[in-house]
Amino acid sequence: MFLRIWNLVLKEFIQFLRDWLMTAFILTLPVLQLVLLAQATGSRISALRVAVLDMDRSSASRQLFTALDARRELDVCHFPATLAETHRLLDQGEATLAVIIPAGLAADMGDVARTPRVQIIVDGSNRAPALHALSAARETIAGFAADRAAELLAGQAAAHGLATGSPIDLRTTVRFNPAFNVKFFTIPAQVGFIVYQVTLVVASVGLARERELGTLEQLMVIPLRRIELVIGKAIPALVIGMLNFLSMLAVAVFAFGVPMRGSLLLLCTLTLLFVVAEIGYGMFISGVARTQQQAILLVFVLAMVDMTFSGYLVRVKHLPVALQAVARVVPFRHYLAIIRGVMLKGAGLDVLWTHAAAMLVMGLLVTAVAVRNMSRSLD
Amino acid sequence: MSVRRLLTVARKEFRHIARDARTFFLVTVAPAFLLVTFSHVFAFDVDRVNIAVRDLDRTPLSRAFLASLTADGDLTVVTYVQREEDVEFLFNRDIADLVLVIPHGFADLALRGGPAKVQCVVDGADAITASQSVGLLESRADAFAAGLRVGRLGTPVGGFNVSSRAWYNETLKSLVSMVPGMLAVILCMPALALALALAREKETGSFETLVVTPVRGTEYLFGKLLAYGVSGMASVVLAWLVATLWFRVPFRGSFLAFLLLAAVYMVASMGVSLVVASFVRNQQTAMFLILTVFFVPSFFVAGLILPVADEPIARAIAYGLPATHFITISRGVFLKGLGPGALWKPACILLGMGVLCQAISLVLFEKKLA
Repeated sequence: MFLRIWNLVLKEFIQFLRDWLMTAFILTLPVLQLVLLAQATGSRISALRVAVLDMDRSSASRQLFTALDARRELDVCHFPATLAETHRLLDQGEATLAVIIPAGLAADMGDVARTPRVQIIVDGSNRAPALHALSAARETIAGFAADRAAELLAGQAAAHGLATGSPIDLRTTVRFNPAFNVKFFTIPAQVGFIVYQVTLVVASVGLARERELGTLEQLMVIPLRRIELVIGKAIPALVIGMLNFLSMLAVAVFAFGVPMRGSLLLLCTLTLLFVVAEIGYGMFISGVARTQQQAILLVFVLAMVDMTFSGYLVRVKHLPVALQAVARVVPFRHYLAIIRGVMLKGAGLDVLWTHAAAMLVMGLLVTAVAVRNMSRSLD
Repeated sequence: MSVRRLLTVARKEFRHIARDARTFFLVTVAPAFLLVTFSHVFAFDVDRVNIAVRDLDRTPLSRAFLASLTADGDLTVVTYVQREEDVEFLFNRDIADLVLVIPHGFADLALRGGPAKVQCVVDGADAITASQSVGLLESRADAFAAGLRVGRLGTPVGGFNVSSRAWYNETLKSLVSMVPGMLAVILCMPALALALALAREKETGSFETLVVTPVRGTEYLFGKLLAYGVSGMASVVLAWLVATLWFRVPFRGSFLAFLLLAAVYMVASMGVSLVVASFVRNQQTAMFLILTVFFVPSFFVAGLILPVADEPIARAIAYGLPATHFITISRGVFLKGLGPGALWKPACILLGMGVLCQAISLVLFEKKLA
């Protein structure tokens, strides 16, 4: 039996290597994608464009927008002269945020009885940068106000003999990621996603391809059992998936400095489990699709659905509770928790066993369905 | 170029698409289906921060402090910790995002003028949420501190009155921002299907039979383009219906303008996929290329969730992707009510991209037929 499987695997690899372009792509494109994504998400949100309509033109208003510009997240680059021009800048997307400083700011600031006003308009069409810009602007203005309050109060406090500092001092330490490096969150997820993509594509196209090209009939006449066919098709997908994983991991750790705080052996073993589970899904799709085009589009759809529920884009915690339940049957969701847990938190099997068990169960279930499906469709 | 031959090729492609329910579903209905799936992730803006508290003071003031932090529901206390060792466990099991430690003597120090040191340990694995959580905590702590100062001095601390408004998306809902942007990403499925169709003809060998027919290169490519373009537009209409009727995303622009701009986007994305398909020999490679080079980067680089990055390389790549420009267009038409006039810049870029790519794929194609 093993000899037959071995021959099938050999044939698969020869076919694979014959299309050297494809092999090159499968091995190099993931690295490229990783680099690209690291570049794009590497820096924190910064330099959001701000327009300032300064109707006061005093040294106080100048100090205010200088304080805004000094923030990393904001970049004051437009100084419209009228309200209409400000609106146009927002419409065109030239500015994410507009700050309108009314005339009389300096006068209001100098008088302790009056409250200075500032108006902010933010472009809400892209929510994440809008929230960032808004909170950055509010914090700056609040800090500006607090400084002014401190000056005003210092006089009074000195008269009362009290301390002038803030009564509460909040100190923050960051675990696992002292520099708030976004890369630490996105790159392990990306590595996981690439392993997921590659394994799924290779596994799903396998049978559909043979069916489309007409070579499936030839496979039927040779003395090959169903289970041997399945294993023979699965092994190349496994090898390619693991190869990709190891190269991605090396790039992530050595080129991007993502820490690897847990056990490498544990990570590799759980990745193997994940790859096997995904091969099951691939086989299932392969059995359902009539042509390669269908198989590929189905993989696409599945990949998108998995991306949604897996915590890749949005933390699972932030999903509505009903969808969180759905997320539990997506193997990719568990794998993401595993890879992040092992790399960033050095977690061990004692913490991750629930995820590993879920992947095992789903993998077995889907593979069983796939094999049964296949036997029916092949006969 | 004969229009009759072009239409014949188009009709053949239509038959291919419609013949099998699965392919038909995947080309026309799937984008709308994906929109529904994806957007439910963003349907609820639940930005909860879970805090664990280690209160070593246990005075009325420390309890008041905690109450003020959790007053509006953004921060929630999920558990109280006694020992330091338990903190590690909380982070590993993802139970808490943040641990707050209030030291013994907090109330005494704070009431005397301070500063009372409060420690906060945040789980930095998810850097974006972590910095937001810290920001939230700091602003609430500052508000409480300001309140304390008022208490001591009896005079109001002069703050600024900041009024803010969000345009185009008044309540800053995630869904309103995401659905128009998501349209750009899912509408690349027809382009993917086109590339696969082209690669399939090469792979199954039916390409050679086409060479002996009097069909010319231009007629072949444009015929395919027509068929998949029309199916693509059908999926655009369906997706638009899902966005406006199901998700109730405001649509402030003109429907015809949107269709026109969507057609331009189809031309651009299909042009790109045709160029890709000219280079590959089989469908698997085509899929892999398009998925890794165009689709996944579109999520992060094109300005869908995070804004387009500042660094020149990432920015150049973002502008090279058709999706980036259509995200701008889509949000512009849906939320800002802009027309093709105001959106001429991204529209022209897309048109230029489309024409250039069609030309390139035509040149490459002629060579192969000859």
